[in-house]
Amino acid sequence: MKIKKILIANRGEIAIRVMKSAGKMKIRTVAIRTAAESGAMYLSFADEIFDNSEDVSDIPVFLDIDKLISIALKTGSDAVHPGYGFLSENAYFAQKCFDNKIIFIGPSPDAIYKMGNKTIARRLALKIGIPMAMGSAGNISDVEEALATASKIGYPVIIKAASGGGGRGMRIVRKEEEMERMFSTASKEAEKAFNDPSVFIEKYIENPKHIEFQILGDTKGNIIHLGERECSIQRKHQKLLEEAPSCALDPELRRVMGNMAVQIASAVNYHSAGTVEFLLDSDKNFYFMEMNTRIQVEHPVTEAITGIDLIEQQIRIAEGEQLSMKQEDIKLKGWAIECRINAEDVQAGFAPAPGKIENLSMPADSYVRVDTGIEPGSIILASFDSMIAKLIITGKDRKEAIKNCKMALDKVWIKGTKTTLPFFRMLVRNQKFQDGTFTTAFIEKDIEKCYLNSEYEEMLAAWLATKLFVEENLQEDSINVDFENGKEMSPWLLNKRINQF
Amino acid sequence: MDLSGKSYRTFIERQEALKKQFSEKQAEKQHSKGKLTAHERISLVFDSGSFEEIDAFVTPADQPVEFGKVDRTYGDGVIVGHGKVNGRLVFAYAQDFTIMGGSLGVVHAKKIAKIQEMALKMGSPIIGLMDSGGARIQEGVASLSGYATIFQNIIHSSGIIPQISVVMGPAAGGAVYSPALTDFVFMTSHTSYMFVTGPNVVKEVLNEEVTSEQLGGAEIHARKSGVAHMIYDDEENTILALKKFLSYLPSNNVENPPMVIDDGATPDINEKLRDIIPDDPNKAYDVKDVINLIIDKNSFFETSELFAGNIVTGFGRLKGKTIGIVANQPKVLAGVLDIDSSTKGARFIRFCDAFNIPILTLADVPGFLPGIDQEHAGIIRHGAKMLFAYSEATVPKITVILRKAYGGAFIVMNSKNLGGDFSFAWPTAEIAVMGPDGAVAILYRKELAESKNPAELKKELVKKYRDKIANPFIADECGYIDEVIDPAVTRKKIVSAFNALSNKWVKVPARKHGNMPL
Amino acid sequence: MNENLKIKKLYALSSENRKFSFSVPLKNKIRIGRRDYVVQLKSDEKYGTYILWKNRKYPVEIVRSRQNKYEILFNDISYTFTVETPFSLQRMKVINSTKGVNEQESLKAPMPGKIIDVLVREGSSVLRGEPVVILEAMKMQNEIQSPVNGKVIKVSTKAGCNVMKDDVLIVIKVE
Repeated sequence: MKIKKILIANRGEIAIRVMKSAGKMKIRTVAIRTAAESGAMYLSFADEIFDNSEDVSDIPVFLDIDKLISIALKTGSDAVHPGYGFLSENAYFAQKCFDNKIIFIGPSPDAIYKMGNKTIARRLALKIGIPMAMGSAGNISDVEEALATASKIGYPVIIKAASGGGGRGMRIVRKEEEMERMFSTASKEAEKAFNDPSVFIEKYIENPKHIEFQILGDTKGNIIHLGERECSIQRKHQKLLEEAPSCALDPELRRVMGNMAVQIASAVNYHSAGTVEFLLDSDKNFYFMEMNTRIQVEHPVTEAITGIDLIEQQIRIAEGEQLSMKQEDIKLKGWAIECRINAEDVQAGFAPAPGKIENLSMPADSYVRVDTGIEPGSIILASFDSMIAKLIITGKDRKEAIKNCKMALDKVWIKGTKTTLPFFRMLVRNQKFQDGTFTTAFIEKDIEKCYLNSEYEEMLAAWLATKLFVEENLQEDSINVDFENGKEMSPWLLNKRINQF
Repeated sequence: MDLSGKSYRTFIERQEALKKQFSEKQAEKQHSKGKLTAHERISLVFDSGSFEEIDAFVTPADQPVEFGKVDRTYGDGVIVGHGKVNGRLVFAYAQDFTIMGGSLGVVHAKKIAKIQEMALKMGSPIIGLMDSGGARIQEGVASLSGYATIFQNIIHSSGIIPQISVVMGPAAGGAVYSPALTDFVFMTSHTSYMFVTGPNVVKEVLNEEVTSEQLGGAEIHARKSGVAHMIYDDEENTILALKKFLSYLPSNNVENPPMVIDDGATPDINEKLRDIIPDDPNKAYDVKDVINLIIDKNSFFETSELFAGNIVTGFGRLKGKTIGIVANQPKVLAGVLDIDSSTKGARFIRFCDAFNIPILTLADVPGFLPGIDQEHAGIIRHGAKMLFAYSEATVPKITVILRKAYGGAFIVMNSKNLGGDFSFAWPTAEIAVMGPDGAVAILYRKELAESKNPAELKKELVKKYRDKIANPFIADECGYIDEVIDPAVTRKKIVSAFNALSNKWVKVPARKHGNMPL
Repeated sequence: MNENLKIKKLYALSSENRKFSFSVPLKNKIRIGRRDYVVQLKSDEKYGTYILWKNRKYPVEIVRSRQNKYEILFNDISYTFTVETPFSLQRMKVINSTKGVNEQESLKAPMPGKIIDVLVREGSSVLRGEPVVILEAMKMQNEIQSPVNGKVIKVSTKAGCNVMKDDVLIVIKVE
């Protein structure tokens, strides 16, 4: 069935991204105007706008399943694209769409549910024989069980939320004494974030690389992978920079891991785009972590090296089309790096720095793709994510990509808030990053300062401070006061004043 | 010229003796404490080569000293004279701590009194650079009478010429009233302090250990007591700031404040002003952001910055002309009026009024601070000072209501019927007898009590109240404000309003003076 | 005497105690090695204020300036400097040496209310005037600012807490 109109159940950069591909396929799109961002940039890319700005309820509309379904029905949309975050991995939402005869552009509710529950996912992976970090058989119900499991698999261990993601409800336990405290905080955090306190325990792999495979499957049972992405540059499990391919993989390892990724996806009859995440230790042993059943923030790096439009593929698959390519057609060409430029203060431990973007200028070179939902005047809200833009930089190999990245970063200019740019400027100059020997512990262990601290730049800033001081205080003509002028006044006023005193 | 004649010889000898008196060693001693010498301070204040010293050769009173001894030095520990500051005549005295601890003897006091009288006669500002151990004990009651003369002179000159004190060392006992009586007090951190009774007395009487710095350091006076208006980390910065500060003030109460040539760098229409007030009426913002966008770029000079931060006072320029600014600061204590902010505001307004400096008021005030301590400490009496000061002031007065203006606080912040000349409001203004929550609770007490869902009903009523009552449009239609303006054009509106008021004259009934509730 | 006081040199002292010296009158040149490079402060419609250095535009923003302290946002990094004259630098040394043990400043709640957010952690460096706690009182969110420059040594409140007037919120070691 051909899709005629898609409701974009998302905002910002990804909403625009989906609308661009839909537009290319001559499909109409509907965007939702919210009270929080009534003039946002993504609205101008839509064919239709549904105005929800009168709604001032505390839950954002993008999380309100009933509201979204009713908007889809009202606007006559025959499909919904959830983007990432919000309801993109909500099986209930996918089911609701199905119940209302709306196409959910993504996998089946069943696949979302199974992969969303880490305990079920682990059981599936175990069945297929995918290597996994040793861990608890299922959810851990109390501290005693946690202690017993941990002593069986050996410290350090990691506690994870069963229905989690994004680093929340995650705690590393290195010693037995820490277990009780960590277990309760992880469980509480999980309950708060995902409304589900269940957690499980895994062996903690020290200093691994984060490798993930892009999967594409159709409704006819064909599943392929589009190679890997490396996302080891993370801070507290939040990815900052991703690249494709990874310099840690050779063709053979890629084949083996890719194969495993396809198998796990097959186990849930996966269709649409998805991502299978692995950890890779220093001895090149890999461990299955989880599968994300949505389009990822970092999907453009895969697009850059495969030449495949993943959103277009998602839509085609949702329409019931068969995949037009086979595994052997997939050729990885060149290198791509994505920098997530967020409104964060790197000098204050990446604290969010919401504010108004007064102006910005992005590089326009052929080796850079910019995905953004921000334009001059846009406001970065504390309530949504702090992303300003994604820079996707390509090169014929990793070295060239890094070189291009360095040039591109110097051309970006954002006025109005602090950003993660100084972090990337440091990163591209870092030896370990250039070597490719970094792991997920890079930010915590391998760098002294998480931003570029150039001596010249500091000197220029010092010069400016001194200049301001001189202008304010030392220049003879800095206060160009005309005292004589104070004596001039109209006879009317002068007379009155003198006669008074 | 032949200078070998006898009279010339004496002249030259005296000059040399004076030079010798200020040895490198003494300067070194002062420097080692992080302080400059009196001469160095004077030369930093005045335009180079413009200072003319008088009475450099007077010596201490020639009276029998029964107790202790008095050094027979030239000048008696104080330098007095006049010179140019940024090209304008200014009088000054600087106490010299290296000579008998800068103590105030009879002659010392006479020198100060002489220069004070001169400044008043010429209608020129006077600066006191203070660094003194206090009254000279050896000279007894005579030195006390010296203080009295100095105080009397300050009071006589008050409101006629600007008088500024710069405390750069100790000022203890009676000496503190000399700065306290003047218009503005500058202090230097760590090396200056002021107190009526020093740490030793506090120890003897109350058995409490306290350092000079803790008892009366610059920091304390700037933050807690409000005695010091401006403090700086070092003497050079203190003096640089003093010079800058002087450029805002007229020489006397007949003249207008000086002008600075307007470089046109500040846009008359600035759309950034529209973004400052947050959408959420309970969120704070920094009113200084508003001030800086309205007045000439970089022209804001804040006074009493650290004291009672809930009201912002200071000088700025509008097209080169000095104005005084009084603004509620939502960022601190929600911008409420309390005892400290009322007295701070009132004193600033009275200074502006005395010296023909027009006043711009930016109002965003949720009301007076409720509470037992405030009521018992006399918020009624102190709040009245602000009312009195605003109403009494005859200089041009303009108010812009940025957001909240509720109840008594609306009246106090220079409302139109209190004699404000122009009253503007931004569309975000909420002008009413009280805030929405309070009003709803009183007017719909019964309905709320009976409602099944009081929270929902309250939310609805609050919204209705905001739409119907708490907005600037009703006041606009009744003429209680002159115009609701687009925030972006605020500067333009204010400039033209002050221009219209430049010849303002109000006849005040003849009287000795009003009776302000002090 | 006048000549001695004439300021011939200025020092910009960074918050990490790095010292940059400049001669006065200040030149639009900075010497690196044996070469002088021209540095210019410019501004235009699109970029606002920027520094032009070796043909590259660096965005700058003066975040705060108070007396001789300047906080500058330069190329997305904030730097804090105090500009000192030779005498004030010497004075700073004198005062620091006599100050002895560092003092502590306890930040108290100015009125009763609810803590909305704590913006610092133990060990954070704070500048005078920097907001450290957001307190909701009188239905308004108030920023409680640090009264001193220093390091936070104790945080005795957290978001969601109700506090009474004069409750100690944060203890800062004065630096």
